[in-house]
Amino acid sequence: MFQGQRGWFCGSVSQDLRQFWVAEGGTVSDAEAAEFLFSCDASHPDTLRIYQSLDYIEDNATVFHAYYLSAVANAEIKNSVALGHFVLPPACLQKEIRRKIGSFIWEQEQHFLIEKHDEV
Amino acid sequence: ATDNCSKMLNYRCSGCIAVGKPLNSRNFTKLLHSCPYQCDRHKVIVEAEDRYKNELRKSLICSKKILLTPRRRQLSIKY
Ligand SMILES: [Zn+2]
Repeated sequence: MFQGQRGWFCGSVSQDLRQFWVAEGGTVSDAEAAEFLFSCDASHPDTLRIYQSLDYIEDNATVFHAYYLSAVANAEIKNSVALGHFVLPPACLQKEIRRKIGSFIWEQEQHFLIEKHDEV
Repeated sequence: ATDNCSKMLNYRCSGCIAVGKPLNSRNFTKLLHSCPYQCDRHKVIVEAEDRYKNELRKSLICSKKILLTPRRRQLSIKY
């Protein structure tokens, strides 16, 4: 599924998610060369470096939560998982975003038993 | 069930469904910016990230100015 794609992994991403990426044909590269940037922790120094890069400022670098890979691994149809739902914004923005839209999808993935309904 | 339906509809902006070209870290933000009907979720994220980037841009310009000032002074002497 990731044939020919280069991925960069923050130190916060577990080994099995990296292995899944490689098993699906992806290669691991440095951040500049990668088409995909994966992280599990927006406040990890590796990921902070991305958020402070020129690429990020110029809209050329979106960090995705590596749970995208576990969602793909668990999906019946692998390419039906929407990558766009796994955007990982900088840690300092997450509180504010959460207040407006509720929990992130990658958080729901983690504790999907906790259902929260905020009436607006 | 109704709640689920509205959730589905809310998720259907171009950030939610890949249109034509495959999404990755390099094209995703631009694609979202060009989407005229961003869903609530992506709109909030994009707005927050844009604000963050603007702050960064400002601080970058400031630090560049400090770095460039002596050189610029030299240049203006030459001219
Ligand atoms: Zn969307």
